[in-house]
Amino acid sequence: MSAKNKKVMVVGGGIAGLTAAWELSRFNIDVELIEKTPFLGGYAIQYCCKATDECRQCGACTVEAMLKNVVDEPKIKVHLATEVEKINNSGRFSVDLKKSSCKPDSATEGVIRGYSKNNSPLHVIVDKEKCEENPDAVPEGALELDTMGFSGKLDVDAVILASGFQPFDAEQKGTYGYKKFPNVVTGMDLERIIRENATVVRPSDGKTAQKIAFIQCVGSRDERLGNLWCSQVCCPYALRMAERIKHKNADAEITVFYMDIQNVGKDYAGFYEKCKTDFRFVRNIPVDVFPMENDSLSMRYMNEEDGLCINEEFDLLVLSVGIMPGPDNSNLSDVFDVGLNEDGFFAGIDKLNSTSTLKDGIFLAGTVAGPKDIAASMAHAGQAASEVIKHLGVS
Amino acid sequence: MTDMKHTDMEEINIATDVLVLGGGLTGIKAASEIAGSGYKVVLVEKDAELGSQKGSKSLIGSEEEYKGLQDLEDKIKTDSNVEILTQASLVSAAGVTGDFTARLSKGEEVIEHNVGAIVVATDFATGALNEKYGLSPADNVLTQSRMDELLASEADKEKLSNRTVAFLVGLGQEGNPLVLERVLRSVLAIQEIDGCDAYIYAGDLKVASNGLERMYKESREKGAVYFKLTEKPEIVENGKTISFFDPVARRNIEISPDFIVVEEEMRADHLNEELAEILRIDVGPLGFLQKDNVHFFPVRSNRDGIFVAGSTRGISGLPSAWTDVENIAVEVRDLLGDGKKSVAKNKVVVDEDKCVICLTCYRCCPHGAIYWGDKKAIISPVACQGCGICASECPMDAIQIGGFNDEEITEKVKSGVVSGNGTPRILAFCCQNSAFEAGEMADIFKMQFPDGLRMIKVPCAGKIDLDYILNAFVAGADGVMVMACHPGNCKSDKGNTFAQWRVNDAYRMLEEVGLEKDRLCFAGIASNMGSDFSSMVVDMEKRINELGLSPLK
Repeated sequence: MSAKNKKVMVVGGGIAGLTAAWELSRFNIDVELIEKTPFLGGYAIQYCCKATDECRQCGACTVEAMLKNVVDEPKIKVHLATEVEKINNSGRFSVDLKKSSCKPDSATEGVIRGYSKNNSPLHVIVDKEKCEENPDAVPEGALELDTMGFSGKLDVDAVILASGFQPFDAEQKGTYGYKKFPNVVTGMDLERIIRENATVVRPSDGKTAQKIAFIQCVGSRDERLGNLWCSQVCCPYALRMAERIKHKNADAEITVFYMDIQNVGKDYAGFYEKCKTDFRFVRNIPVDVFPMENDSLSMRYMNEEDGLCINEEFDLLVLSVGIMPGPDNSNLSDVFDVGLNEDGFFAGIDKLNSTSTLKDGIFLAGTVAGPKDIAASMAHAGQAASEVIKHLGVS
Repeated sequence: MTDMKHTDMEEINIATDVLVLGGGLTGIKAASEIAGSGYKVVLVEKDAELGSQKGSKSLIGSEEEYKGLQDLEDKIKTDSNVEILTQASLVSAAGVTGDFTARLSKGEEVIEHNVGAIVVATDFATGALNEKYGLSPADNVLTQSRMDELLASEADKEKLSNRTVAFLVGLGQEGNPLVLERVLRSVLAIQEIDGCDAYIYAGDLKVASNGLERMYKESREKGAVYFKLTEKPEIVENGKTISFFDPVARRNIEISPDFIVVEEEMRADHLNEELAEILRIDVGPLGFLQKDNVHFFPVRSNRDGIFVAGSTRGISGLPSAWTDVENIAVEVRDLLGDGKKSVAKNKVVVDEDKCVICLTCYRCCPHGAIYWGDKKAIISPVACQGCGICASECPMDAIQIGGFNDEEITEKVKSGVVSGNGTPRILAFCCQNSAFEAGEMADIFKMQFPDGLRMIKVPCAGKIDLDYILNAFVAGADGVMVMACHPGNCKSDKGNTFAQWRVNDAYRMLEEVGLEKDRLCFAGIASNMGSDFSSMVVDMEKRINELGLSPLK
């Protein structure tokens, strides 16, 4: 059977959704890509490059490239600010879509910008009134969010769920003082800070942070929260980020508080050795953070050698937040009639095929099915595309 | 692809059979998926039987978790699209993607196959780490493999009842989630044996794989005791006692186990290096056949048409090997299609009058896309990635790359040196995969961008000829930037290295003519970092301002 007239819906325009859509388009399959926010790219497009004098394989640049592939590909039709309402399965899937009710989380300004220059539109007006106050500040080509989004029905032959994850909400761990103390940031915040400024500045005063602490496993491997999984990405991003900071500022003093360091990259032992010479590792997760003068932060932790308590001050605290099931998982699980696993991620059919589901014609790609880094999300999306191609009988 | 919209295309025929090297489970799955896409597969295994990884089942978990493996193996044996060659090995592989000639030896016989793509699917090897812990093999000292065997047999399991077992993991090596998974499986199995206690001495617990944190918790709830250490415990009399100092309890903790189980390492197949040499693909970290380069992930090698699966490219359990294989199936389908390939006629052109077949291009091509005929070097338009390294290295200037020929770039250099209100005139040669994207981003996002800066797009930094740099100065540029991907991030593996070499040559020449070195810079940058681009070019403008405008103008 030819790919002609075959159509697949991909739900989610993050790195997994982008990759799945693009892989399918290579085989002449029409793709309807549904994204609930006004921009493609998901979280992965917000990450910064973590190269030092050499590439550290974080993969952030590959997201930019994939986004470009997708927007340049006429076989892929993108529906921004759109979400799935319900589906009807009678051979093909008939999917009802509606304008997304999702509000951008950083709407302090009237206009928000996408993270990639390839986002189209690049600017979206989220608050018309604010824009009217200063119309000159509204960039050319900015679209009003209210005018975006697609309502209607689409008939497709298969669906790939690639709705992604959400970063752990660090406010849930109240003792860290996230959003209370300005210099407590999450790994996600730090990605954006570096991407925007090319350097690490303290949110409180814009000064370069010299003494920086990373706390690992924030939200992951946490029995009290019932989060019995390792997010698999936080050690890699924290250590790569710390190396980048150290590379740009050799005087920076970095401490990593951890339980178990996970492998980073292909030559992980060599990388870890380098990290050990560049910064200090403390195998202890501090609990309490206290604000000090100049918005510095004091933390108490146990010294490994003598078991005694130490109080130490830092300029900046980075919480390595983990990967949590997506906020829409339970809703999507109902809509698509696909079950979630005990952790709240979508369940694949078995260990070897975590892209197919018990529901014929519905597939999974990326972190919707559990924690993954960029490379693993892309590989998973490739696997999903392969399963879809087989399902459609394309040859 | 968009670059070739307006160029003449030609259609060429390519071979559509596929060679799969390695008859382990990964190779079997690869053969099955590719044959399922309608291509003929030759599956080559060095041993007498397929499925070599099955000898150590515990590596991959219980049979219930992996249904259908036996079916897969049985099916492949009767699949008319799959030719199985056991006790066979690859001798040579000539040609390029879409047209490889593989010679395989089986006993005395040498079999030749014309294939369009090659999949390498070797398994990992395991090895005891006793020496790392100063332990000699003995009745009480077991390798993880031996422990797996004991636990697989009901009779042997009995021997463990009312015994104390100590596990050593993550202290003799950095380890990985698969190593830990094997330990956790044993520890959980031990909890089911009457009176058998497990103590685990662990470095970093590599739980970064689905389900491991749960197994870790379950084993603790069932009574296993974990000691998380940062260095090896003291082991006396070949494992009779193990002790370490606990900083919290402030005392020595000593245990006398009946058995001590030593973790095993998982490493690259020893065949990898030989295969890499035959296939002319790069060996990456730790002997695996993929460099640590994100553009090759998940399954590409540095040569088009040669793919790497599972443990060929890194320690891999079956789930990730399966993911790889399905990605390869997609790649192979895309590459081979219906056996016809459309390529741009001017993608790369070798001038027969200039070429002296010195083979510089053959040696420097990172994609293995070049061979030679009677009169000139031949560059396969299918295998060529258009990076242009060869064009810039060719001592006879005999090679031109479509869309980036020397004349066009020379013209851009001339017209790019423009006066920006008396501000320094800076030319930045930008790799289209990284710097050019970052520069556009800086521009579009209205980040700081010097008035007199012009970007010249090149397909890869490896295309930046020494002549381009020198011509830019001759044309009156006050500063020249060569902006490449970071080392280890070049799609053509070493285009950025070539660019760096040429910049170093240019430094020497600038010195000879008395031009300041600071007028030229080499920088690595990523496509998504407009902010880095902006700060680099602004810095450059500052430096030039300090030096003053070029004396050559």
